[in-house]
Amino acid sequence: MTRLAFYGDPPPNIEGTELPGRLIVLEGTDGVGRSTHIALLKEWLEAHGHAVIDTGLRRSDLAGRGIERAKRGNTLDSLTLNLFYATDFLDRLERQIIPALRAGMVALVDRYIFSLIARAAVRGVPRDWIQDVYGFALIPDKVIYLDIDIAQLQPRVVASHGFDYWESGQDYLRSPGLFDGWVTYQTALLAEFRRLADEHGFTVINARSTLAEVFNDLQDEVRQVVDGMSRQSVLPSDPSDA
Amino acid sequence: MTQGTFQHGGSGFPGRLIVVEGIDGSGKSTQIDLLQKWLQSRGYLTIFTEWNSSPIVKATTRFGKRRHLLTPLSFSLIHSADFASRVHAQVLPALQAGAIVLADRYVYTAFARDAARGVSRPWLRRLYSFAVDPTLAFYFDVPLEEAIQRIVQSRAAIKYYEAGMDMNLHEDPFESFRIFQGQILNEYEHLVEEFSLIRIDATEPLVDQQQRVRELVEPHLQGVARIPDRDMHDFLRQTGLQGRYLREAQPSP
Repeated sequence: MTRLAFYGDPPPNIEGTELPGRLIVLEGTDGVGRSTHIALLKEWLEAHGHAVIDTGLRRSDLAGRGIERAKRGNTLDSLTLNLFYATDFLDRLERQIIPALRAGMVALVDRYIFSLIARAAVRGVPRDWIQDVYGFALIPDKVIYLDIDIAQLQPRVVASHGFDYWESGQDYLRSPGLFDGWVTYQTALLAEFRRLADEHGFTVINARSTLAEVFNDLQDEVRQVVDGMSRQSVLPSDPSDA
Repeated sequence: MTQGTFQHGGSGFPGRLIVVEGIDGSGKSTQIDLLQKWLQSRGYLTIFTEWNSSPIVKATTRFGKRRHLLTPLSFSLIHSADFASRVHAQVLPALQAGAIVLADRYVYTAFARDAARGVSRPWLRRLYSFAVDPTLAFYFDVPLEEAIQRIVQSRAAIKYYEAGMDMNLHEDPFESFRIFQGQILNEYEHLVEEFSLIRIDATEPLVDQQQRVRELVEPHLQGVARIPDRDMHDFLRQTGLQGRYLREAQPSP
């Protein structure tokens, strides 16, 4: 059961005390491999009979497109963007995540409120304020943080989509280039993530190792959360059976 | 964002911020329009900002309303995003530049409407803690039945969220509107106390209400800069020009 507990005041009109599903969150910085592992976990869980929904930033019906549009312009300030993301998150929480949990599904969430809090804090938005705004967030069954350092992250970013404007903090840093901006921004972001990991007791997985090793660790963690959902465990404990 | 948004109250700016609040049909928009014309005629630089009008956020709000996607909390959040965008792009720079900012609805609208929808009152106050404190905030006080009559007579239909239809208060939109506006009115009563809003009796003759508003604004105009007179008619008379091509020189909106 996912206990219907919130960080602050719950959204209005939420009923019940428990939900039969499970809420599992993957957190970590850009390029650490969250979406790859979510795709793998989803396939693995479905193969063993679990219904899964996965969701991530900007995927709400309400605000996803609005955020994309706003980010193309040049008049968007950080506070508005934060509140836009809060709207996007809430819409997914109320209309995707909670209904799925009510139906007994496993919700795999690619970045929850913590990425949003970290990004806001790095940009100088008061921490107390942004954490308080997200008081309506449901406390997940497990938050897994994929931990990495700048040195290991760098080649991955180069090899995948390269250095992105937002992921390099270009909207608020006044640095001469993408790479320097990326180092400054990601260093600050990682520090915020580690602070949040301590504060909220995230399960930390070392994401510096190979794909197979990281996935194996993730399976162990997910298994612990999901096992109690059925009368008997359906997830094999030996990864070679997976 | 200027981080200072959270730090300054309202003092310390060369400009002034004047707010009107009240339920639909209270006549507040008419009054702020008359106030703006008066200030302009006296040479003050004014800008006008209204609720739910940010060019960045408005389309999302409209989309959510049309599709009935909004819940009490997402309704609240998307309006706070709209407000934040206008504070950043309109209100703050104008106050810093010494203008008089006239706001048709301000944070009190969110406090009243969202609380009527069941959103936590303390959370709403913290959510909007980045707002600049107004110099003056007027509350146009109108009895529920009077406001309903004014709205019903001037409009064919009431919109879904305006009527609070999302709250399942009543299946008839007009009845739902009546109940919801009554709840909002009740919230406003508490806000008037909490934030010392200036109550204006909105059943008085319009011209008397405006007189009272102007009397109350007057003392706050001391020290506010006026813009130099740019009267084109006088200028043309002096120079003997016709202004034949002036129309082409107007910036398109």
